[in-house]
Amino acid sequence: MRDPDAAQTVSVCNSPAGERARRFETGLSRAGLGLVPRLGRRASDALLARLLRLLADCHPRAFEALREMPDARVLIEPVDAPVALLMRVGPEMSLHALPRGADGVGEALGKAGADAVVRGPYDKLLDLLEGRIDGDALFFRRELSISGDTALILALRNTLDGEDEMDLVADAASIAGPLARALPVLRRNAGPVLDRIDAARRLLPPPLRRGIERLEARLGGTAGTPPGGLPGKLPGMGA
Amino acid sequence: MDNFELICPAGTPAALRAAVDAGADAVYLGFRDETNARNFPGLNFTRQDVADAVDYAHARRVEVYVAINTYPQAGNLGPWRKAVDDAARLKVDAVILADPGLLDYAAKRHPDLRLHLSVQASAANVEAIRLYREAFGVRRVVLPRVLTVPEIARLNAEIDIETEVFVFGGLCPMAEGRCSLSSYATGLSPNKQGVCSPANHVRYEQRGGALASTLGGFTINVFGEGEQAGYPTLCKGRFVAGEGPAYLFEEPTSLNAMDLLPELKAAGVRALKIEGRQRGKAYIAAVVRAYREALETFAAGRPVPHIDLQAMVEGGTQTTGAYTRAWR
Ligand code: SF4
Repeated sequence: MRDPDAAQTVSVCNSPAGERARRFETGLSRAGLGLVPRLGRRASDALLARLLRLLADCHPRAFEALREMPDARVLIEPVDAPVALLMRVGPEMSLHALPRGADGVGEALGKAGADAVVRGPYDKLLDLLEGRIDGDALFFRRELSISGDTALILALRNTLDGEDEMDLVADAASIAGPLARALPVLRRNAGPVLDRIDAARRLLPPPLRRGIERLEARLGGTAGTPPGGLPGKLPGMGA
Repeated sequence: MDNFELICPAGTPAALRAAVDAGADAVYLGFRDETNARNFPGLNFTRQDVADAVDYAHARRVEVYVAINTYPQAGNLGPWRKAVDDAARLKVDAVILADPGLLDYAAKRHPDLRLHLSVQASAANVEAIRLYREAFGVRRVVLPRVLTVPEIARLNAEIDIETEVFVFGGLCPMAEGRCSLSSYATGLSPNKQGVCSPANHVRYEQRGGALASTLGGFTINVFGEGEQAGYPTLCKGRFVAGEGPAYLFEEPTSLNAMDLLPELKAAGVRALKIEGRQRGKAYIAAVVRAYREALETFAAGRPVPHIDLQAMVEGGTQTTGAYTRAWR
C-alpha cells in the first residue's frame, strides 16, 4: 500500500507573497501580450511562431497530440486584455494575436473564423493553460465561457492538462533573453517588494494614487472598462 | 483500526502523478479507447503511458487499477480482450470490469490478475455479488450509488468480498450500466461507447446573461445569470413539465460523503473512491489531498475536519446522495 513518506507537495504559490508575485507576473505577461500586435502582423506572427516552437520543445508529448488533431481553430479570448489568441491545431499548428476592438475580436477574426471560443479573465485563462486550476470548476462557477465545438475545447484542455505544470510566463520570457535571467530573481523578490510598494502607495495623496493607477491600466492595455471585461488594472500592482 | 483505501482517478499521466503525490492508495485509469467509461477526447493512457504510470506509482507503493468497464460490442470483442491482456502484461494491480463475458475471459486467461467489479455492473444485492465472486473470483465490488448506508451495512454482513463506494464527484443517480438517457439523445452511451453526453453532441450558447446547454440539439438546461452551471447530462436536466421548468431526476450537484466516514467504516466498507477521470489535475490534487487529510484525522480517532471543496463541485452544491435518503 501507500508509502507514508511519499511526497505531498502538489500546489504552488500558496503563500500570500507567492500569490502576489503570481498576480504581478500575470499582469506583466498580459501587458507584454498587449504589445505583440503593435509589432505589426509579420513580426508578431514570427514571435508567436517562435514561442510555439519553444513550447513544443519543452512539451513534446502535448504538441505531438495537438498536431495529430484535425485542423481546427480555437479562439482564446481574455475579456480583460487588449488581445485575443487564435490557436490553430492540427498539422499546420500556429498562433496569432488578434487585437480586441470595441466588439471583442469579431472583426479581426474575419473570414477565418474559429471553431470554438474560450472566454474568461486573463489570469484564469493563464492558470488554466498552465494546469494550475480546474477548467470544469471555472465553468461551473461561470468564470469561463465556451462556445462552438465543445469536443475540440475538451481535447485541447485535456492535452494541455496532461502535461506536468507548464510555466508559460517563463517560457515566454525565455525568448526575450535578459528577461529570462531576470525572472527567477523577480519571482523570489516580487511578493515582498510589492507589499512595500503598496504600503508606500497608501501614503500618497489620492490624486497621485489615481494617476498611477491610470498609468498602470494604460500599460496593461486595459484603460477603461473593456467590452464584457473587468476594470483595467495590472493585477498585483494595487490593493 | 485499518484505514480506508483511497482510490483516485486519473485521466492523464500528469493527473496520475498529482493523485499519487497527494496521497492516493491506488489510482484508476483507462486506455485511450471505448473500453472504458470515460472515453473523452484527449483523455486517457496509451500502453506506454500505463507502463510509466505503473513504474511511478509502484515506486511510491501506490497501486494502479485499469478500468475496462464498458460492454463489448457484439462481434467485436477484440479491443476489450486486448485491453485485459495488456493490463495483465503491464503488471497493473487490478482490472475493473463489468461484462460477465470479459470477467470470464480475464479469470481464465489471467488467473493471477485481481478482478474488481465495476460500478457499471450495478451489482447491488447479495445474490448478484456472490455470483460474480463464485463464477469469476471477483475480489472487490464497487457498489452503485443507489444504496443507503444501512443497506450497504446489511450487504457487507452477508458477503465475503471487499466493497468500494464512491465518496466524491459527479453523480449517476440511475442504476449504473443500465442508463440509456444519453443513447436516446445522441446514440452514444457510457455503457457501450464510454461516454455519457458526448462532447461532440454538446453545445453551449449565451442567451443574454443566461447560459443554455444543449445535447443532441435538445436544450438540457438554461442557467440564469450568476447561477452555477452543470454538465448537460439528461438526468440533471431542467425540463418543462406541468407547472414550469424543474429538475425531474436530480439537480446539478456533486457527491461528497466526507461527513459519513464513521458510518461507512461501521458499515464495513473497505475502499473509498473519488470520481473524476475527466477532471483536471488541479481538481485531483485538491480533492485527493482533502480526503487524505480527512482519512488520517479519522484514523487517528479525531473528528473528521470540515474541508471546503465547494469550489470544485458541479452546480455549486454537494449532496450525500442515496447514502442518506430512501428516494430512488
Ligand atoms: S444520464 Fe445521468 S444517470 Fe445516466 S449515465 Fe449519464 S450521468 Fe449517469
